[in-house]
Amino acid sequence: MPPDNSGYMVAAYIIVGVVVVGYFISLWVRVRDAAKKK
Amino acid sequence: MLSLVLLAGIYVRALVFTPIEATQGAAQKIFYLHVPAAICTELAFGICGLVSIAYLWLKDRRMDMFASSSAEVGVAFGTIILTTGPIWGKPIWGTWWSWDARLTSTLFLFLLFVGYMVLRGVVTDPDLRARFSAVIGIMGLVLIPFIHLTVYLFRTLHPMPIVLKPSAPSLPAVMLVTLLLSFGVFVLLYVGFVMQRYALAILRDVRDEEAANAA
Repeated sequence: MPPDNSGYMVAAYIIVGVVVVGYFISLWVRVRDAAKKK
Repeated sequence: MLSLVLLAGIYVRALVFTPIEATQGAAQKIFYLHVPAAICTELAFGICGLVSIAYLWLKDRRMDMFASSSAEVGVAFGTIILTTGPIWGKPIWGTWWSWDARLTSTLFLFLLFVGYMVLRGVVTDPDLRARFSAVIGIMGLVLIPFIHLTVYLFRTLHPMPIVLKPSAPSLPAVMLVTLLLSFGVFVLLYVGFVMQRYALAILRDVRDEEAANAA
């Protein structure tokens, strides 16, 4: 019977999603602002 | 955007269609994100170092912009390994962190490139900024092979490589396929992020040049 530690797995998957989507949004906003100023 | 959708597909593949490992339990599934993120972090910093060497040789400003783009994406991926690693370590090792050679050198590499980003924000002269950044980028490149070898050279809590080693990968085919698919998606994420970040650097460079010409 494998140990029940799914909470750690869920936390890690949420953090990766937040970092990747957060970085994507940050890049998108910065490119949009730079294009506007240009 | 496509790579974000593919990442969602990896979540489904890893969480629903890949079996739970018998000894580590569900926490082992962190492996499918942690390992590709770690390889892509080293890829990003490694490319930054190589392009930095090319910059110091050719003095082409586009190379500096590309190296800094790769470094920034590497810091984003580095955040993933330094958060998922301790979350995986706690249930398996019984501790969030250990100051052993692999973990400490990885943290050092991450902080080196955080310093790289800070330096780029502080130094205003573009040529000086590019030269200083290139030196830090090359220092990071030198550190990468050492980090990979730490598990062989020192006693560490971190396990030995199970895929990037001379012999065949030591994990079941279904898990290996999930890992390889995830790695492919992370490489796509890296390429997409670097292209977008490089486009941003070009836009800013054009804007700065126009401002300098107007003044």
